[in-house]
Amino acid sequence: MISNISDAQWMVYNSSAGPYVAVVNTIVFNEVIEIFMQEPTNVAGILLYENATERPDFFSPETQCPNENSVGPDGKCAGDVVWNENGSGLLRRDIPFPIFFLPSSRISEIDKITQCHDRYNLDKDNQKGRPLCSLQLSSFMYAAVNTAVCLRRSATSIFGIAIKMCDPLGDYNVYSSLFPRPKETAKENKQVILVTARMDAASLFDGVAPGAASAVVGLVTLITTAATLSQMIPLSDAPLYNKNVLFTLFNGESYDYIGSQRVAYDISRGVWPPLSPITSKDINLHVELGQLGGSLNLFKDNPNWPLYAYAPYTYAIPPQVTEFLAEMSSYSQSNNMTIESEFSINLPPSSLHSFRKILSNATESGELPEILLVDHVGKFTNKFYQSALDDYESIGYTYHNITISNDGKFISTDDLISNGTMSENEAQVKVARVATSLAHTLYQQIVGTAYTGNISSSAHLVDEMLYCFLRSQACRLLVAADYYSNEDTPPDDRPAPLYVGVAAASTPAALYSGHLLALLTGTHLQVNRTACDKIGTPGFSYYYLRGWNHSGICIQTTMNFSQAISPAFIKPDYNITSAEFSTWTESVWLGLWARVFVRAAGVGARVAAAAGAFATILAAFTTYWLQRHASVIFLTPVADNGAIRSVNC
Amino acid sequence: MTAAEFFSCSLLAFGAPLAMFALTIANDPVRIIIMIAAAFFWLLSFLLSSMIWYAVVPLRSYLAFGMVFAILIQETFRFGVYLLLKRTESGLKEISENHEIGSNKAEIAYVSGFGFGAMSGAFAIINVLADSVGPGTLGLRHGSEYFFVTSASMTLCMTLLNTFWSVIFFNGVDNKSYLKILWVVGSHLVVSGLSLLNRKELYAATIIPSYIILVITLYIAFKCAGGSSKGFLQTFRART
Repeated sequence: MISNISDAQWMVYNSSAGPYVAVVNTIVFNEVIEIFMQEPTNVAGILLYENATERPDFFSPETQCPNENSVGPDGKCAGDVVWNENGSGLLRRDIPFPIFFLPSSRISEIDKITQCHDRYNLDKDNQKGRPLCSLQLSSFMYAAVNTAVCLRRSATSIFGIAIKMCDPLGDYNVYSSLFPRPKETAKENKQVILVTARMDAASLFDGVAPGAASAVVGLVTLITTAATLSQMIPLSDAPLYNKNVLFTLFNGESYDYIGSQRVAYDISRGVWPPLSPITSKDINLHVELGQLGGSLNLFKDNPNWPLYAYAPYTYAIPPQVTEFLAEMSSYSQSNNMTIESEFSINLPPSSLHSFRKILSNATESGELPEILLVDHVGKFTNKFYQSALDDYESIGYTYHNITISNDGKFISTDDLISNGTMSENEAQVKVARVATSLAHTLYQQIVGTAYTGNISSSAHLVDEMLYCFLRSQACRLLVAADYYSNEDTPPDDRPAPLYVGVAAASTPAALYSGHLLALLTGTHLQVNRTACDKIGTPGFSYYYLRGWNHSGICIQTTMNFSQAISPAFIKPDYNITSAEFSTWTESVWLGLWARVFVRAAGVGARVAAAAGAFATILAAFTTYWLQRHASVIFLTPVADNGAIRSVNC
Repeated sequence: MTAAEFFSCSLLAFGAPLAMFALTIANDPVRIIIMIAAAFFWLLSFLLSSMIWYAVVPLRSYLAFGMVFAILIQETFRFGVYLLLKRTESGLKEISENHEIGSNKAEIAYVSGFGFGAMSGAFAIINVLADSVGPGTLGLRHGSEYFFVTSASMTLCMTLLNTFWSVIFFNGVDNKSYLKILWVVGSHLVVSGLSLLNRKELYAATIIPSYIILVITLYIAFKCAGGSSKGFLQTFRART
C-alpha cells in the first residue's frame, strides 16, 4: 500500500522481501510512477485504484505531444507549445510490469486488500522469512517486440500453421451527408463541407476508455449539429443548392489517426466515400471539431465557454475560412458564446494532421481550407486526456433524466432554461449552443443567406446523448436507435469503452454513433418492415430501428460506415518501418485476473521437511531392526499357534 | 515456497509408511494383495460413512456426528477384514510362495492394518496437499501457516495408528480379549475427537496427545505381536 513518496522509495530501494505489487490510488500515482519506472526490479506490478472522494489535478497516460509521429509538415510540439503538458507518456512506453485499475465501484476489493495488508505486512523492517499478504496479477500478451515482428510471426510459420500474435487496430468510420450523394449525380460535382470529429479515446486499461473531454463532447456536438441541420433544411430542397455537408466521425484517432489517415488516403486515390468518391478539390471546407469539453469544468460556474478556431494559415487565408469564421463568430455571439480565431501553422493534435500529411499538396496551397474548433489555446485544458478519469465528472456533467415524447421531439434549450430545469452554466446547454451556432453557420454556407428561423439544437437531446456515451449504454436514445429485431439483452448499465479495438472485432462506439445519426437525421417512413427492406432509392440506406415508441420505424438515411483500418495494412508494398501511416497492432492476450493470498514464510515447510525426514529414517531403521532381529524379539506366542490354522499344508 | 511445503508435507505424511512398505510388504506379493484388500475395505467403510452423512441431512454440518459413525463403521470393517482373512487364509497360503504366511497372526494383522492406514492417510491428506501447492497459504481471513504441517503429521499418526490398531484388534479378537478391542475403538475415538480441535487452531493440543496415544498403542501392539522388551534390548547389547 503506497500512500506517499517515501513508501514508494522504501519499496524500490529498502524492501527485503520483494518484488512487491504496489497498491496505489489515483492521487499518488502521478508522483510515484516515475520512481517505479526508473527502478523496476523490485516492482512486480501496480494495482491502481480510483480515489472516489478526491481527484488528482491531472492524470494522462498520453505523451506530451499526442500522435507526434503522424503530424503534418508543420505540426511541431516543442518549446512553448506542449499540448498535453501533464502527459506521462505511459501509453507509449514499455512498462516493465502490469498495471491494473480498480474503478471506484469496486472499492470493496481494496478494503479486503487493506485488511490483509494490515494484518501481515505492517512491519516493514522484518519482512523476509515471514508470512506476507500477497497479490498476484496475471496478464499475458502473446506478441513481442513490435508490429513488424509480430505480423511476420503471425503470417508465416515453418509448420504451416500460423498462430495469430496480434491484430491491426481499427474499426469503422461513420459518415452521413445532408443531401444524398447517389452515383448518378456525382458528375454534378457538388462541393462538400466536411465536418468531422473523432469518436474514440484510449486509456491504459482494458474496458475503461470514457474519453469524455477527449472525444465524446466533440462527437455529441457533431451528431447534434447534424440533427439540427437536417431539421433546418428539408431533404426536398437538395436540388436548390450546389453544396452539401458531409459529416464524418473518425475512429482510431488515438492511435496515430487511423480513421482519418484511411479517409485521407482513400480520398487521394479516389475511393471515398465508396458510392460517389470525392477528391480534395471537391472539399469546399473542412471543419474539424477537435478536443472540446476540457474547459467545461473550469467554466462550470458561469455561462462562458470560450472556443478557439485554429486555422493553419499565416498569410493568404483562403476566403472560405474567413467567411466561415466571420459567420460562426456572429452566430456564436447571438447564442452567448465566444469564438476566437487562432491563425497558426502549429495545429493541436487533431485529424486535420492526417489530411495535411497525406493530402499535403491540397492543404498547403489552400485548395482544401481547414478549420479546427477546440476549447483550448496552446496546451490542453483537459487534464485527464486519454485517461480512465476522463469521465462525466471531468466535464462536470449531471444527468437530468427528462423523458422523450413518442414523436421524438426534444424540449428546446430556451424552454428548459426558462422553466428552470437547466441553467446557462451547464455543459448540456453550452454544447447545444455550439451545435446551434455551427448548424446555423453551415446553413448560411449552403443556402447563402443568413438563418432567420427559430430551430436550434436542444440541450435535452445533448443531455440524453451525453448520458448514453458517458453514463450508460442502456439509455433512451440507444434503445430507440437499436435494430427493431434485436432481441438481445439490453446493454450494460455502464458507458461503452471508446477504445478502438482490433479491426477483426467491432466495438459499440461506431455502431452507436452511426445509428444515432440515422435516427436523428434520417427521414422516418411509416412503412412496415418488409416494405422498408424493399425500398432502394439510390443514395440512401434503409434501417428498420425501434424508434421513439419502440414499435419499429423505417429510417431513410444517408449514414454509412467505412473501414477505419490504417492504409499501412492495405497498401500492398508498404514499408512498415517508414512511419508513413499508423501501424498499431494489439497483441492477442489471455484474460486478466488478480488474486490476493497470504504467502508462506517457509517455516511450515522447513518444520515439515525436518520432521518428515526424521520420521522416515526412524521408521525405516526401526522396521529394518525389528525385521532383522525378529527371531529374538518376537517370541511366537503359544496361544497363537494353530489358533486360526484350520488347514495345514 | 509453497512447492517446498508440498514436498516436505508429502514426505512427512508418507515417508515413514513408504519405508515400512518397502522393507516389509513389497517383497511378498501375497502381502501386497492383503494390503490392497484391506485398503479396499477401508474405502468401503468410507463409502458407507459418507452415505450415512449424506442421508442424515440435518446433521451434515456437525462434523462430530459423521466422525463417530465413520469410526464405528471403520472398526466394523476392520472386523470384516479379520473374518475375510481368516476364511481365505488357507487359499492365500496355497498361492503363496511363502508358505509360512499366516503362521504368525500378527503379520497378517500388520499388513492389513497398514493397508487400512495407508488408504485413510491418503484420503486425509490429498486435498490438503493439492491446496498446499499454492501459490498462497492459509491466513487470509483466518487459519495459520502451520495447518499443512499439522495435517501431514496427523496423517502420519493415523496411518501408523491404524497399522497398530489392526495388530491389537486381531489379537484381541483371537484371544477374546475385549479390553484390547475396547482400547482400539476408544483410542480411535479419542484421537479423532482431538483432531476436531484443529478448527480452533489448537494444534499442539491435538498432536501431542495423539502421539502419546500412538506410542502407547505401539507398545501394546508390540506386546500383542509377541514382542518382548527384553529381547528388543538384547539386540542392541548383542551388537555392542
